[in-house]
Amino acid sequence: MNQQQFKPKITCFYCINAFDGEPEASLSVDGSADIHFIKMACSSMTKDIFLLKAFESGADGVIVVTCPPQACRYVKGALRAQKRIDWVKNILDDVGLNGNRLFLDNMPFSGSEDQGQRLQDIVKKIKGIGPTPIGE
Amino acid sequence: MIVAEQKSIAEIKAAIASYDKILILGCGTCVKTCFAGGEDEVAVLASSLRLAAKVDGGSVQIEECTVERQCENEFIQEAAPCVAQNQAILSLACGAGVQALARRFPKIPVVPGVNTTFIGVLESPGIFTEECSGCGNCRLAVFGGVCPVTRCAKKLLNGPCGGSQHGKCEVNPDTDCAWHLIIERLKAIGQLHNLRTYIPANNWQSSQSGGPRKLIREDHII
Repeated sequence: MNQQQFKPKITCFYCINAFDGEPEASLSVDGSADIHFIKMACSSMTKDIFLLKAFESGADGVIVVTCPPQACRYVKGALRAQKRIDWVKNILDDVGLNGNRLFLDNMPFSGSEDQGQRLQDIVKKIKGIGPTPIGE
Repeated sequence: MIVAEQKSIAEIKAAIASYDKILILGCGTCVKTCFAGGEDEVAVLASSLRLAAKVDGGSVQIEECTVERQCENEFIQEAAPCVAQNQAILSLACGAGVQALARRFPKIPVVPGVNTTFIGVLESPGIFTEECSGCGNCRLAVFGGVCPVTRCAKKLLNGPCGGSQHGKCEVNPDTDCAWHLIIERLKAIGQLHNLRTYIPANNWQSSQSGGPRKLIREDHII
């Protein structure tokens, strides 16, 4: 399968405050990826086991979308999410899965168009890494 | 609490390589508090090992269980049905827990998943510091509640060395000088006169230097 044909499966955990409305409705991901969106009350509630389970379920990439760190409603939620993502990236490297499959995006409150583009950019990066060796 | 740190995935993988079915057994007391071996860490390690096995093209069957304390038979007993279904136990308890399991299940291999490091306290979220060496002869009353046996790099018992600078230890400038803390604390509680108490050379027989220790409470032995 070449990079053009590869349609990555992606799990996207997102803070309830990060997107303008529901991300499925407001973002055009042009069908180049199969994204499963999971709404969280705060990005910091995305525990490490949730991230690993997503990879165990066959995700080619996982994205955690947070609010801008300085605008987090729970003050340090985005910072906690960042620290957890760094921790889990190390675990993924240790198990040979490549920590670069896990992304954190501090989504700016700037309208769905920008938000869609940011997501597209991450999808491209995941496509560049290629399919997960895990399978379903 | 007893503070421990999880071993690397590579070391754990190598230690369990010969087993197809393994039980990861957590401990819900000390090692849970220091994020090394509680229920959450059991789940994360199980997931990590399953991922690692798949990346390597193999598979491993992992069962997860956590008991309140692995150093007591009554609690270990709860894990017996899980143990019976597996070839080995990967214990995330301290060394005492690992040995208690080995004693309780004499025919099942027990592999340690953490390195037991010290008796300490949670200084601030995410930071654990060593505070007690278990020397068996506690004199914290004289030292104002700060232990020089553990917290002074030179284990000095009668005042600071010449290397204490601005309240920090010369051995490691990131470490507070225990004797600086002792003097400040004695000042605060009005017991600076304790410094005049001569502490003779330590008798280490009550520490681990005297061999493995045993505590017997006759009133609890039936």
